[in-house]
Amino acid sequence: MSQTLTTRLETPAGYRSSEVARFIWQLDEQRRRLIEDTRGLTIAELEWQPAPGMNTIGMLLAHIAFAETHLGQVGLAGEAAGHAHEVIGISEEDEGLPLMAGAPPPPALMGKDLAFFDDALESARAHTHRVAKPLADEDLLTEIVRPPRPDGTRRVFNKGWVLYHMLEHEAGHHAQINLLRHLRRSTMGGA
Amino acid sequence: MNAPRQRILQPVAGIPAPEIGLFLAQMDDQSRRLTEDTRGATVDELAWQPRAGMNTIGMLLAHNAIVEVFWISHAAVIPCDCPGVLGIGVDDDGMPIPEDGLPPGTLAGKDIAWFDDLRARARAFTYDWARRWTAKDLDRTITRQRADGEWTMNVRWILYHVLEHEAGHYGQVNLIRHQHRAAAAMAAGPRMATLAPHGAAG
Repeated sequence: MSQTLTTRLETPAGYRSSEVARFIWQLDEQRRRLIEDTRGLTIAELEWQPAPGMNTIGMLLAHIAFAETHLGQVGLAGEAAGHAHEVIGISEEDEGLPLMAGAPPPPALMGKDLAFFDDALESARAHTHRVAKPLADEDLLTEIVRPPRPDGTRRVFNKGWVLYHMLEHEAGHHAQINLLRHLRRSTMGGA
Repeated sequence: MNAPRQRILQPVAGIPAPEIGLFLAQMDDQSRRLTEDTRGATVDELAWQPRAGMNTIGMLLAHNAIVEVFWISHAAVIPCDCPGVLGIGVDDDGMPIPEDGLPPGTLAGKDIAWFDDLRARARAFTYDWARRWTAKDLDRTITRQRADGEWTMNVRWILYHVLEHEAGHYGQVNLIRHQHRAAAAMAAGPRMATLAPHGAAG
């Protein structure tokens, strides 16, 4: 049966800035595909590590949720310090990135099912929607100067870059998740 | 104290439509990082396959260039001329690779400079068209015929897709580099495996 598929990048209503709204559309489109691509993942698949020191799918899902919330807090809302765990229930230590060479996955994610990760992702996105709605066009140019890191590196970014980074960060890890699923199927013979 | 790391997103200058200039700034940032993260990749590493039926880094780099030319041609409503723009055909990335398939012969022996050039050509093609487009082009819709019906998209979606497509495969390139390091360390023995350097992603 013939069908018509329409894929337009549109401007969602409810945002002060059309530019911000279009970033949100892109983020939500990424998320729709990530959710589609992760249906059916078992706990064993979520915990599978290709080799010691490498990320699992569960770690990447937790990391996407954590990074998005942290960026929303310090980047978009301009808070002095992130407190993502209060929004998604997962801390930076819990998600385990960056993983040390030769290390196993973090214990905090052991036994967690897909619903757990879906819930974290949903909470993160609700937070992003909330902090993005009041942003105006001119806010995209607002620069944030972060405190120096332990190695002395200072980071300066604008809010437009934060929205772009949220998008490309999720897209990169989403594609890694797809690769890990493929690799596991190939390694385990489809098990 | 170290110099600050600047991450300021603003539209590329000289592009008539600022929103298109903003997409280009994002694509260029992805390309800059992909270029940085692939320095030092040898011909062997570019052709390394984690398992039969899986993509190599070289395939992903070629695929990014081909897909960019494909979609920008579509937005420009012109036939996709990959050989003319890139010097390789639209199928020469070998993707999608068949189950248990090997990398395509077209990419055998190619070094990182060759892939850099391929990606630079694709981006120059995108710039060439972006300079011709105005803000009105972003809402222009294009319909593709598919075996199962029609697919309608706007130019704004095409630019988003080129960006997120590059971002996705860039993430995979990092993961494969990490796998390659881990495999090399395993081959060198258990002690080296423990000392394998940790990648930025994957």
